[in-house]
Amino acid sequence: MTSDSPTAIELVDIWKRFPGVVANAGATLSVKKGTIHAVLGENGAGKSTLMNILSGVYRPDEGQVRINGNQHWFHSPSDALTSGIGMVHQEFRLVPSFTVAENVVLGASEKIIRRSLIEKEVEQIAQQFGLAIDPTRPVWQLSMGERQRVEILKTLWRKAQILILDEPTAVLTPAEADELGNVLRRMAEDGRTVVFISHKLHEVTAFCDEATVLRGGKTVASSLKVEEVNESDLAGLMVGSSPVISERPPHQEPGEAMLTIEELGTLDDRFLPAVKNLDLTVKSGEIVGIAGVSGNGQREMAQAIAGLRPITSGKITISGKDLTNAPPSERFTAGLGYVPEDRLGVGLAPRLTVIENAILRCYRNLRKSIFLVSEQAVNYCKEIIDRFGVRTGPIDDPIAGLSGGNLQRLLVGRELSGNPKVVLAAQPTRGLDVQGVKAIQDLLIAERAEGVAVLLISEDLDELLTLSDRLLVMHEGEIVKEFDPTTAHRHEIGAAMAGKRDES
Amino acid sequence: MKRLVLVRREQPLRGGQPLSFLIGLLVALLAGILLLVASGHNPIEIYERLFNSSVGSSNAWAKTLNRAVPLGLAGLAVAVAGSMGLWNIGAEGQILAGAMMAAWMAQIFDTLSSPILIPIMLIASILGGALLASGPGIARAQIGVNEIITTLMLNEVALRLLQWLIHGPWKDPESRGFPLAPLLADEAKLPKLFGRAHWGVIIAFLVIALFGFVVSRTAWGYELKVAGSSGATARYAGISLNKKIITVMVLSGGIAGLAGGIELSGTSDRIVEGVSGGYGFAGIIVAALALMRPSGVAAVALIFGAVQVGGLSIQTLGVSSSVSTILQALILFGAIGAGVFNRYSLKSVKREKKGGST
Repeated sequence: MTSDSPTAIELVDIWKRFPGVVANAGATLSVKKGTIHAVLGENGAGKSTLMNILSGVYRPDEGQVRINGNQHWFHSPSDALTSGIGMVHQEFRLVPSFTVAENVVLGASEKIIRRSLIEKEVEQIAQQFGLAIDPTRPVWQLSMGERQRVEILKTLWRKAQILILDEPTAVLTPAEADELGNVLRRMAEDGRTVVFISHKLHEVTAFCDEATVLRGGKTVASSLKVEEVNESDLAGLMVGSSPVISERPPHQEPGEAMLTIEELGTLDDRFLPAVKNLDLTVKSGEIVGIAGVSGNGQREMAQAIAGLRPITSGKITISGKDLTNAPPSERFTAGLGYVPEDRLGVGLAPRLTVIENAILRCYRNLRKSIFLVSEQAVNYCKEIIDRFGVRTGPIDDPIAGLSGGNLQRLLVGRELSGNPKVVLAAQPTRGLDVQGVKAIQDLLIAERAEGVAVLLISEDLDELLTLSDRLLVMHEGEIVKEFDPTTAHRHEIGAAMAGKRDES
Repeated sequence: MKRLVLVRREQPLRGGQPLSFLIGLLVALLAGILLLVASGHNPIEIYERLFNSSVGSSNAWAKTLNRAVPLGLAGLAVAVAGSMGLWNIGAEGQILAGAMMAAWMAQIFDTLSSPILIPIMLIASILGGALLASGPGIARAQIGVNEIITTLMLNEVALRLLQWLIHGPWKDPESRGFPLAPLLADEAKLPKLFGRAHWGVIIAFLVIALFGFVVSRTAWGYELKVAGSSGATARYAGISLNKKIITVMVLSGGIAGLAGGIELSGTSDRIVEGVSGGYGFAGIIVAALALMRPSGVAAVALIFGAVQVGGLSIQTLGVSSSVSTILQALILFGAIGAGVFNRYSLKSVKREKKGGST
């Protein structure tokens, strides 16, 4: 259908260097007008950098950007937008207290804006592409899926002919993702060009016409016809060899309850109930997986268990010890290892050194009166590095130089080094490359084998299905359903993740 | 077409500091020649004076050191707060509070001898500065009030209090109408170390060394750095932030207060409106140039002091105060600012095209 279409986007031999990293090393991309084009690659393959160059956020060190055959040098995203390129970023850039229509026109340099007119325009564009949304609603009331539609509307209202979506399905339920696919298809049929960044292969084969695969900043396969390749071909191109994923650990009988949560309630940052009357038990030697679309209370639940968020009701017990009101450090001593969702900024202190981060949990034991004993700290840090295979330079260098996978190894290693009884891991493999994912998954499996109770919160259903002994689905702060991962169907899990929205 | 960009080094250049200092100084002095020639002066004569008056003799060193004391302590005050990510913009007011407290003690205990009176004065000055900074600290910790605003505003409060004192209750009857407090008794003056340099030099050095050590070697200092890097990480590690914010602000204020006490007792000898001498604000620059590291404050303060002393001295050769200030800024910027090249390298990058579409 598209082989004779003109080329809308051409990126030629793009180089972009950051301190210590070459993000793009001669990447190329060629996208035909009116198609949906997938840009695939592992984290760190240079996808986001390349898209940021296309959308004017970054300027390439070398290389050319051609739009509809004309060479461009964008100075800013608004520059790129003038040439018809709009980008929907992973993190939405919306003002929560503004309405949908207000967010759509925000930053457009019109002197007088008539609200009713804009609302009508937005409504019209929304209908044209099947984006169900009420333009008069404030954004803070919207779900993540709806917020994404606002971002898409922003670019469409600005008459973008080329739309870049950076991992758009990461925040969506499976049903919402399918819907997004339909919207994108309509836009392509309308003559717009869509660039779709993802590492979810089934979405690529379901939605996209062509795919370009990046690896290590270079283009390893460009404009493959999606009909002519299968998922494992693409996966092979992404990792360079066959993908490595942990295998399901052998069945083992769980022991006694190590983590017990009774009637837990907690509030989110807006002081609205985030977790409601939640009961949960994790036994020794079992991995309990928590599935759910992000924003359904998983984060708040994890923070409450770790002692970082005040609770409004309930009781938290770790290996028989009531820790409901204990500070975070006491919970660590009592045997709770916590891998928080935000690695840099919560789990790790970004400006400090490797060793300073390694001793974050136990520095109180490494001191002699008021002084930190550097010898003990160094040994402790080296032990973590050796045991968990953290690749790092000198240990008194800032952690800023470590890659995502090594940061996570350091963090997970530190949390496991206290020989915990319970490990609470929130999104432990998100954003890691395949080797990193496998390393972290294997560590969790090893902990399980040693009788540790693991509570795994993840957005990656494959990971949950592989690792969990029991799979719980969380929706709007409650556990809505429990599945046996060996027999569960993706569609049932997806329906549970969508929760009550299915019933109404 | 090529252009130059700063690229962050993967590792900071080890031991590059002295070299970048010298090169930066040299570049600044060369630029200064242009400035001096353009304003009609003989650069060699000016530079000779600049050097001789600041570090060329023991007398010059005494002046430089005396100036480095309040600069260093004020810089330390800002840096201690800064290592936790707090901004103490109120060192100027805390210096005044410290000076007033010290002067008050000198009045109350006018019968005591130096070895007892001076410690009392200095401790009181620490308490004065700490008291002034405690309010912003508590407000920040308990209800999240921005400490930049509160510390800044308290400068004005301290200044007005001082003005009231020297126009009213503390006014020297022999000052012939000038708003001055009486001269301190000799018992209340810091003894001299050599020449005009007073013992405050030693005290300031010890205090800076102490804090440098505390921040880098103790568990408390470690907690401070964690909290300064990320508050959420600190909570995760079980570090109580609120208590620490108050402690750090009180300490920071206390250090600035001590600067006021030493300045009063060692240099100015009486409470006048300019007793704080702008050191509180200069301290922010000192701390920033020392990259908020307490251990770096002493060296920066010394250079800063020398440049200020030299800058004042060349004005007697007819260099206008504006030209002198520009020259001071050039030298400071060059000598210390060049340190940026320890962390960044200069690279020339090829750029193919400028402007929009072709």
